[in-house]
Amino acid sequence: MGRIDAIRIASGMGAIVAWILIWAWLTRPGGPVPTLYFPAPDDVWTKFVRMWVRPYIGSTLIEHILSSLYIVLFGWTVAAVVGIPLGIAMAWWTKLKWIVFPIFQLIRPVPPLAWIPLTILWLGIGDTARMSVVFIAALVPWLMNSMLAVYSVDKLLIDAGKALGASDRQILMRIVCRTALPTLVAGARMALGSAWSTLVAAEILAATAGLGYVAVNASQLLDTDVLLVAMFLIGILGISLTALITIAQRFLAPWSFADVRGTNR
Amino acid sequence: MTGQTPANTAPPKLELRKITKWFGSEGAGVCAVDDCSLEVQKGEFVCVVGPSGCGKSTLMTIGAGLEAPTEGGVFVDSRPAGPPGPTRSVVFQKFALFPSETVEQNIKFGLQMTGVSAREQESRLSEQLRIMGLEGFRKAYPNELSGGMQQRVAIARALVMRPEILLMDEPFGALDAQTRTILQEEVQRLHREKHYTVLFITHSVEEAVYLGDRVVVMTKRPGQIKKVIHLPRDVVWKTGDIERAAEHPEFIEFRREIWGLVREEIVGA
Repeated sequence: MGRIDAIRIASGMGAIVAWILIWAWLTRPGGPVPTLYFPAPDDVWTKFVRMWVRPYIGSTLIEHILSSLYIVLFGWTVAAVVGIPLGIAMAWWTKLKWIVFPIFQLIRPVPPLAWIPLTILWLGIGDTARMSVVFIAALVPWLMNSMLAVYSVDKLLIDAGKALGASDRQILMRIVCRTALPTLVAGARMALGSAWSTLVAAEILAATAGLGYVAVNASQLLDTDVLLVAMFLIGILGISLTALITIAQRFLAPWSFADVRGTNR
Repeated sequence: MTGQTPANTAPPKLELRKITKWFGSEGAGVCAVDDCSLEVQKGEFVCVVGPSGCGKSTLMTIGAGLEAPTEGGVFVDSRPAGPPGPTRSVVFQKFALFPSETVEQNIKFGLQMTGVSAREQESRLSEQLRIMGLEGFRKAYPNELSGGMQQRVAIARALVMRPEILLMDEPFGALDAQTRTILQEEVQRLHREKHYTVLFITHSVEEAVYLGDRVVVMTKRPGQIKKVIHLPRDVVWKTGDIERAAEHPEFIEFRREIWGLVREEIVGA
């Protein structure tokens, strides 16, 4: 496995280097692509380094990054605190589902971005407005996956628990919630993806800092190199957050990664 | 015949009395079990055989208290059995191990649910691990184990409760032939040593003849009790391995008789 992984990583790096070389060739002085529309890689890199110390539209790069991360993680966490228990409860107590699910079904098809005008009206363009939009964006996948996670638990395991003398509460806490964990983590990943993309859009419409805010300003000021820096960071941070969740799953549910050795099943 | 259960005066350990089970509404749905009565005496090993879909698993689920009968009742020592619990341990065909728990956590699960002290848990756990040959697998997760090992864990998890009654629902049905043979012999040995009271559902006539003190043959759906066959208990061929037993004339005779009864139901004669 180790060797195959090493080969895969090496070839991945090679491909990235190749793409950057093609990019550099296309944007060379006198090349086919004018740098106003697509700056050369070294220009983008220089800008990236400079933005850490020199503020751009009011904040340094790290401040923009932290602003975005702060809002997305806050909204995502609050959505988890609400969505997980509510989703599990809805799957466990059907009556609660009857009450909550109709409203939820109505809200669900509304894209999170469509909430922005309303939140601007209520909350202005401060952090709270963006947090609220992110919250809504993350709540739907959190809640849906928590519900599905409970439904996905084999009824046989519940029977086994009953036969071993577990009460309903013990079955819920020890069997259902634990067994459902991998599906919950999948929900965490989807919620974070949804929250992140919504945040960037929200920052374009209503913000005073953040990577989306940098991107829209750079576009208006024709700072194409800054725009590319912002876009790269949005992508890289998105990947990193997802990777963190996978690492968390290794700690929370190591069994979901365990090798399947048995063949006679 | 030797070992034939005499007309017993003691109340049965487990009694299923006039069980009828409808899935869906009565009369319009499916009748899985129709007026079945079945008794298991203390220390007795009763096997239920019948064609697929005859309701034998339903009968076990009802016996365990996991499903309520439409009519009839379940009694333990002549008292209504009530909700499922550790006096009636269940081993399922599909193992039903908790995937998020290690072998030792799975085995200890029922002990923790019923408030057994930590020291007692540990000693019973190591006893079961030894009996079932699982000592090297304490920390393994179920999906790291072969099917045979998983079913060993499930049996250990049931036995560690020291149940009064053991209900087994085609426990070897999902295993390969070699593993099945080994486990059949182990269950035979365990029963002989510890005198468990067992209700054992199977579709294998050989398994029933080898393990059972009594074999109950069911009709096709809606399942009724077709015939009960008493088997000898303290005979030499039951103490050895199943391959040897299968060559014994008495075994062959019983297998022929029971298979004849089951076949009638399958071909619909």
